[in-house]
Amino acid sequence: MDAAKKEELLKRLSQGVVEFEDDEVKEAAEEWVATGEDTYDAIFDGLVTGMEEVGRLFSAQEYFVPEMLMAADSLYIGLDILKPHMKQRDTNVKGTVVIGTVQGDVHDIGKNIVKMMFDVAGFDVYDLGRDVPLEDFLKKQLETKSDIVCLSAMMTTTMMGMPKVIEMIKEKNPNCKILIGGAPITDDVAGKFGADGTAKDASNALEEAVKMVVALKDLQKNS
Amino acid sequence: MTHSTSRDRVLGMLRGEKVHPVPCFSGVGNVTTKGLDKLGYRFADVHNDAKMMAEAAVTSWELYGYECVVVPFDLCMEAEALGCAMNPYTETDELLYPTIKEKSKLTTEQIREAANPSLVTKGRIPLIKEAARIAREKVGDQVAIGSYTLGPFTLGGQIGELEPLLKNAFKKPDEMLDYLDALADVITIIGKELMESDVDFISVREMGATTDVLSPRVFRKIICGPLKKIAKSLPSPNILHICGMVTPILQDMVDCGYDAISIDSKTPLKEAREKLGPDVVICGNINPFSTLNTGEPQEAYNIAAQCVKDGASGVHPGCDIWPTAKPENIEAMINASKETAVE
Repeated sequence: MDAAKKEELLKRLSQGVVEFEDDEVKEAAEEWVATGEDTYDAIFDGLVTGMEEVGRLFSAQEYFVPEMLMAADSLYIGLDILKPHMKQRDTNVKGTVVIGTVQGDVHDIGKNIVKMMFDVAGFDVYDLGRDVPLEDFLKKQLETKSDIVCLSAMMTTTMMGMPKVIEMIKEKNPNCKILIGGAPITDDVAGKFGADGTAKDASNALEEAVKMVVALKDLQKNS
Repeated sequence: MTHSTSRDRVLGMLRGEKVHPVPCFSGVGNVTTKGLDKLGYRFADVHNDAKMMAEAAVTSWELYGYECVVVPFDLCMEAEALGCAMNPYTETDELLYPTIKEKSKLTTEQIREAANPSLVTKGRIPLIKEAARIAREKVGDQVAIGSYTLGPFTLGGQIGELEPLLKNAFKKPDEMLDYLDALADVITIIGKELMESDVDFISVREMGATTDVLSPRVFRKIICGPLKKIAKSLPSPNILHICGMVTPILQDMVDCGYDAISIDSKTPLKEAREKLGPDVVICGNINPFSTLNTGEPQEAYNIAAQCVKDGASGVHPGCDIWPTAKPENIEAMINASKETAVE
């Protein structure tokens, strides 16, 4: 594929995600696969670049949750086509993540978007779903020896299970990193709960997920 | 106008009268662990028993002089009446608010069919009315009894999956408007029934449509209409409560036509007052977690005092109080409301 064609397809992939143009993403992804080239760049410089822009629009309050969900759908359409054709790479950032929404909370949209980003980045993701009994996080962490545990809660009234999970896990495995997210989570709350990180913006975990992948991309490029 | 009881004060304030000192109350969940412990009740057990619910609801008034008695404590009442099943979490020792475990996923047409007078006999609506009656027996006319319903969009997220609801708010606004309009009828029927019982004031909680989630544009396009429809038929006094950040939609909230609006700590109260002028009844905006649970009494006092100075008509938490809130923080918040002069 020549440079001009490559640039055109990357643009169509990223713009397709930003504008939730499912068909455009599908066609561009299929065209890329037809060239027989590794799809790594199509995923990271196309789809993920688009999602990065969506993250920016989200923090600028031009995009809101519905727009983020539609962009995620478009990204998945592209990913399903491109991922089977991506050559495996050794990266030093790949890891294992256990993720779920804590018991008492049945909202899983933020969690699903964060999960998507870990999927894209090539992490092994164990999704426990929503309304997850607190001890299940510990069980899964011990079973999978995951590097990261991600906890999500949508409301003030449902986030109180988080410090209990964090305490349980840190007691057994102090090296495991714990990220928490959701509408009521701020840096202050994350600090008080003993978590290792959260979304700075606090309105939810989506933006941080995008940043995580951007950071991952940088690491991959430099590796 | 004189306000001889706390009930007069809260109801008068909600109707737009200037009340001094500023009432400190909640129109949403406010039971505390101290109150539950005093009764020897588990939180998970109070949702399905009118007597226990009423007894638990009056504890914040009895223990702290908090100027409200609110039933129920969960967000499942209307969804249950529409065929959903609630999980009160009786099998776990964790302190959890109930959630919907089985969604009925009713269509617009099915919701329109359900929106008939028999709706008020469904689910726990009779139980909650009974709880309000028992609470009235306990507190007489001293304190206002409140209740709440969800707003149409938030209720839509309880009876159906949230993700398609959010996407359709953007993709299929006309279809969504029709769906929310049908839910508005359900909410109106339930709200009127509660207000015709011993409930003195009612909040409509549309937290799913906060500007953290939906754009102001979508709010105006599909959320306002159904909220206005409810406000037209709901007896006074009533409150529109939206937590999260709502600064860009404050005027839209006022235009929905409720007697009062209630906002959360993410929305600066001073700015809201400046934007909306002196006559709009604004309740807010104490952070239930960082101020009442993890804060210190002096901090809680200062924040509540600032709230009064910033122009709150009523000092009100931004969301349900988490039951383990420190009693000394609740007391400090109440004292600050009493002791701070209105500027």
